[in-house]
Amino acid sequence: MKRSIVIAASLMTGVSVASAQAPVPDNLEKLSNFQPTGVTEFTYIEQKGEYADGIKKTLERISLPDGFKIGLYAIVPDARHMAVGPQGIVTFVGTRKDKVWAVTDRNKDRVADEVKDFAPSLKFAIPNGPCFSKDGFLYIAEQNRLLVYPAAEFFYESPDVAAFNVIKQGDLIPQSEESYNHTARVCKIGPDGKIYISLGQPFNVPPPEKLDLYNETGIGGMIRLNTDGTNREVYTYGIRNSVGHDFHPETGELWFTDNQVDGMGDDIPPGEINRQTAMGQHFGFPWYGGGDTRTNEYKDEEVPVEVVMPAADQVAHAADLGMSFYSGKMFPAKYKNAIFSAQHGSWNRTTPVGARVMVTFVDDEGNATTESFAEGWIDENDEYLGRPVDVAQLRDGSILVSDDLAGAIYRIWYEGN
Amino acid sequence: MLFRRACVLGGVFLAQAFASHALANEEIIGDPAAGRKAAGMCRTCHGVDGYARIPIAPHIGGERAPYLIHQLKAFRDGTRTHEMMSVVAKSLTDQQIADLAAWYASQIALASLPQGVSEDAAPEACVACHGALGLSELEDAPNLAGETVMYIDTQLKAFRTGKRSHEIMSAVAADLSNEDIRNLAEWYAEIDLKIEPAK
Repeated sequence: MKRSIVIAASLMTGVSVASAQAPVPDNLEKLSNFQPTGVTEFTYIEQKGEYADGIKKTLERISLPDGFKIGLYAIVPDARHMAVGPQGIVTFVGTRKDKVWAVTDRNKDRVADEVKDFAPSLKFAIPNGPCFSKDGFLYIAEQNRLLVYPAAEFFYESPDVAAFNVIKQGDLIPQSEESYNHTARVCKIGPDGKIYISLGQPFNVPPPEKLDLYNETGIGGMIRLNTDGTNREVYTYGIRNSVGHDFHPETGELWFTDNQVDGMGDDIPPGEINRQTAMGQHFGFPWYGGGDTRTNEYKDEEVPVEVVMPAADQVAHAADLGMSFYSGKMFPAKYKNAIFSAQHGSWNRTTPVGARVMVTFVDDEGNATTESFAEGWIDENDEYLGRPVDVAQLRDGSILVSDDLAGAIYRIWYEGN
Repeated sequence: MLFRRACVLGGVFLAQAFASHALANEEIIGDPAAGRKAAGMCRTCHGVDGYARIPIAPHIGGERAPYLIHQLKAFRDGTRTHEMMSVVAKSLTDQQIADLAAWYASQIALASLPQGVSEDAAPEACVACHGALGLSELEDAPNLAGETVMYIDTQLKAFRTGKRSHEIMSAVAADLSNEDIRNLAEWYAEIDLKIEPAK
C-alpha cells in the first residue's frame, strides 16, 4: 500500500514534467500515456558460471592500496556509465549499443542477484548516460535525445515503464552531426538542479567550418538545461570528448575528464581532469589538443579565446572516462571529496597505458594531484583483461567500477588491515 | 528484386574495377603472417582475430580481402573518414594494407540465426550482397553478421547523407527511412557470429 502511494505521487510529478513535451512516435508515445505496449519479455543475464569465474580470476591480479578489496558485483554486457538509484534499490547501467541494464542486489549481500534489460519495449540508440535526480527521476542521454523515467526504481520491475521526452529525438544535436564515435554521452544533475550533458565532437580535430555550429549547439562542450527541457544553454566550451563529469560536494564546481588528440605520438598530448569555476569557460580545444600542446591543424592561429588549463594532466592516451567525487564514510578520511576516475586504456599507443582506476586529491585551493588506485587489467603480453569505464558510489560508501570489455561491474570496499 | 539486380550488376562492375586496378599496380601479395604482426595496431578495437572488442568497431575476421583493402585505402586517402581509422590508416603502406587484409581474410566467419527465426524474413534490400545471414556474397561487400545495431545504423545513415559513398550502397540507402534502417540493423545484429582461425 505504501509503495503504491509513492508511485502515484511520483507519477503526478512525472506527468506535470511531461505535459510540456511534444508527443512522440512508437512505444514512447504509449508509455508517455501510461498505455501497455504488449512487450512482456525481459532479457536476463546469467550471473554465475564459467564466465563469472574467469572475471573473478582476473580480479585476483588487481592491486589496490592496503585495506581495500575488489570483487565481482555483476555481469553486465557492454557496461558503461552507471546511475545508482537514490533509494539504493537498483543501479542502471548504460551501453554504447541499444540496451540499458537494471542491476539489483535483492538480498543486500553487496553482490547483484539480477541483471535484466530496462524498458525492453523502447528502442534505445547509444544509451550511454543514465543519471538520477535526488527525487528518483531517471534521465538517460542517448545519441540524439534525452528521456526521463519517473519513479524508475519502481517501474523497472515491469517491461512497461513511464517515459517522457525531455529533449526529443533529433533535438539534442543537429541530425547532420550524428556519429557513433565520441557519442557516449554522460549526464549528471548539478547542485542547481539542472541537468548537465557532455556532447563530444565527432572528429579527431574538427575543421574550422564546423566551429560556429558546434559553439552554438554545445558540441565539443557541455550543455545544461532545466529538467523539464527548458532553458538550454552551453555551459562549457573547448572540450574534445568528455566522457565523465561530477560536481565537487562542497564547492559545487563542475569537474570533468577529457580525451585528447590522437596521432601526435605516444607521449603527447596529456589527458585532462578539468575544473570549471564559472559558466562559459573555454578549455582550449581545438587550438590546444590536450594540456598546453597545440594541435598541428591550428598551431599557426592565434588562440582567440581565454583558455582554462587542466587542473591535472593525465598520462597521454590513457582515455580518462567516468569520474565521481567520493562522499562516503567507508573509506579512510583522506579520500573524502577525492575524485575516483576510470582510465579506459589507450587504443593506439605502442605500449598500452591506462585500464585502471585513478584517485585525484583536491586541496582547498582546488589544486589536484592524481595517483593510481586500482590496476592490473593489462597483462604481461600487453593484452587488456578489462577496460574500466565509470565509477559510482553505493550508499554504503563502497564504489562500483564498470568495465565494457569484460562486461562486468566490480565493487571496491574498504576493510582496513 | 530491384536491389538484387542492382547488386549483381554492381558486382560485375566492381570485379572489373578491381581487376584493372590490380593490373595497373602490379599485384601486391598480402602475407597473413606479416599481417598478424601488424594487427597489433588493430587489436584493441577489432581483436587480433577480427572479433570486435568495442561496439563502434565492426567485426573484420573473415572479411573479404578486397573489401578490407578498399576501406583501408579509403581511410588513408580521406574518401572515408573516421576519427580513429583516419589516424591509423594514414601511415599504412600498400604492402601493410595487403598484409592486414590477408590476415583478417584468412579467418573464418561463421553465422547462425537465432532460434526460431527463418532466413525468409531477411531484409530483401540487403540479401543479394550481404546474404541472409550477413555473410558477404560479393568481393566489395562486408559481412554484417553480429555487427551492433548502431554500427549498421551509422553506416547506412552515412551512405544516405553522403558522408560515405559507394556505387551500390548510396543508392540503396537513399530510400531508407530511419525505421527501415533500424529494422535492417536489428536483423543482422541478432545473428550470432563466430570467428575461427584459418585451418
